[in-house]
Amino acid sequence: MRLDDIKESALMAFDTLRANKLRSLLTILGVTVGVVTVIFMVSIIQGLNKAFAQQIEALGSNAIWATKFDPSFGHQPTSEEIHRKDLTLEDAEAIRNEAPSVLSVSPIHRKIAETVRYADKQSDTPIVIGATPYYEFTQSSFVDRGRFITDTDMRERSNICVLGIDLVKALFPYEDPIDKELKINGKPFKVVGVMEPLGTFLGQSRDNQVFIPITTFAKYYPGEQPFPEVVFVIIVRPKSRAYVKSAIDEMTDILRRRRRDATGAPSTFGISSQDALLDIYNQLTGATALVLTAISFVALMIGGIGVMNIMLVSVTERTKEIGIRKAVGATRLNILSQFLIEAVVLTAFGGVIGLVLGEVASLLTNKYSPLPAFVPMWAIVVGIGISAAVGIIFGLWPAWKAARLDPIEALRWE
Amino acid sequence: MSDVTLAAPPTPSALPEQPVSAHDANSLISMRDIWKTYEMGSEQVHALHGVSFDIPKGEYIAIIGPSGSGKSTLMNLIGCLDTPSKGEYWLNAKNVSLMDDDELARIRNQEVGFVFQTFNLLARATALHNVELPLIYGGIGSSQRHEMAKEALRAVDLSDRITHRPNELSGGQRQRVAIARALVNHPSILLADEPTGALDTHTSMEIMDLFERLHGEGNTIIVVTHEHDIAERAHRVISIRDGLIEKDEKIR
Repeated sequence: MRLDDIKESALMAFDTLRANKLRSLLTILGVTVGVVTVIFMVSIIQGLNKAFAQQIEALGSNAIWATKFDPSFGHQPTSEEIHRKDLTLEDAEAIRNEAPSVLSVSPIHRKIAETVRYADKQSDTPIVIGATPYYEFTQSSFVDRGRFITDTDMRERSNICVLGIDLVKALFPYEDPIDKELKINGKPFKVVGVMEPLGTFLGQSRDNQVFIPITTFAKYYPGEQPFPEVVFVIIVRPKSRAYVKSAIDEMTDILRRRRRDATGAPSTFGISSQDALLDIYNQLTGATALVLTAISFVALMIGGIGVMNIMLVSVTERTKEIGIRKAVGATRLNILSQFLIEAVVLTAFGGVIGLVLGEVASLLTNKYSPLPAFVPMWAIVVGIGISAAVGIIFGLWPAWKAARLDPIEALRWE
Repeated sequence: MSDVTLAAPPTPSALPEQPVSAHDANSLISMRDIWKTYEMGSEQVHALHGVSFDIPKGEYIAIIGPSGSGKSTLMNLIGCLDTPSKGEYWLNAKNVSLMDDDELARIRNQEVGFVFQTFNLLARATALHNVELPLIYGGIGSSQRHEMAKEALRAVDLSDRITHRPNELSGGQRQRVAIARALVNHPSILLADEPTGALDTHTSMEIMDLFERLHGEGNTIIVVTHEHDIAERAHRVISIRDGLIEKDEKIR
């Protein structure tokens, strides 16, 4: 097909659109709705993905976590899991010494909802984290002012603490917290540093925490602690993203050996990574996307049937015109392509309107909701592509009908 | 199918084979024993039974006959809108009788310029675009197309109306646009079907004058009509009745 044919067809198509504004609008509505659905839903899923990926990224670059629990998403720890023995500092030390893919290891012991007081102010929500000096580097989370926990603090089981920014705001609104003494669960601690703000994860602040030496933690919270308030976690930073998998394998071997897990029996601990979290998340959004794809498909089908209907009407109405075109030399292919292009212009036009509306909806979502919705480039291409495809699929039969008309009959048609 | 005779003569195959001379190589149009048969339910209806004639290049010819004589069927065949059931039709040394739909479209585009009673212009297109239409299907590039279409409109004295749409033009002007469209591709024949049927007497005479001028410029013109005063402007008149040539005479 030559460019002139396409131009003639496109002109004819726009002409028809102009001549039947309302009808065209109603016809393309179905396609528009379909494309809006596709675009808007894609933008929301993309926004969710982006938000989640950002959150996970913020948890610490490439971090791997080991606990005595199965890390599966939505899994409630069983009583068997709760009664397993905790991971230990020695386990962490073994990983540090024996796993070649691992760059650094930071065991933490944490307790949620502890009471922290300073003068007349009190907070009951902070997480107390018993940490080692390796925490900063392993988690890529650093002290902002003052200092972090040192080896000396570890050795001496010092009563020092480093505050998250939320606690500074809650307890020291008007003064410098450094060197002040506060009470954690009634025990005196000296503030030696303040952490950089971390922001939120899935809507929850990550700065509502206070760090103490893990040895000091053991002093005040000895023995087996009740789940779920206290959890022992070994955080591992692999050499790079490429080492995540081998680091997990090495950790698994080391921990299975140390915990004497029988060969063939399941591990009595769980290891998770950002990738694993992302995988779980992607499975969830994948299911959502499938449902939305089905909805869009139905909308586009309805739109396509509307287009077919109107194209059939159009062919009948323009029988005479087809006769004229055939009389002056239009071949069947000419007529077929003209009506096909008209259908495609019609649906592509509906697709473009749908794209614009979808984009607007996405921008509004982005602006007025916490979701960073956005329309990726590929969705625009896919949106226009599928609307054009609807035009071709549903325009083919009417166009073929037009192409097959007998010129004599067509010219006689009034 | 108003031009179909309901008389049922013997079918073509039942007739003894007539001696048919080969087509005349000098003729622009050469029709040899042309039959056209339609199936009407179980009945076979013959619109034409055995028509033969030759038209040399540059002739101005009228085909006349009453309603139902078969003249419209003949016109459709001459115009390559249809193929005969039997017989040979040579147009400009090409055997049209054996062509398929797309080959016929090509021939119509290159060899035939149609002028219809009701003009048959595209209502929403300008005069220029209407005249360009055959060139578009002829694969002519747009700048050359514009030039040729303008030239054709100038030839029918409509240079000042090229951006007008049909509903902004008078009947005579519309028919002149149609004639420009018919001539723009320099076809072998200009085929007019009742070209003045929708026009008043004065305008009809203008159109017939234009045909005369075009004939003078070397065009081959075939006018199909049932009006004798229109037919009398031609140089040769073929009279059709009941699907047969009744009379074929030079009148000028």
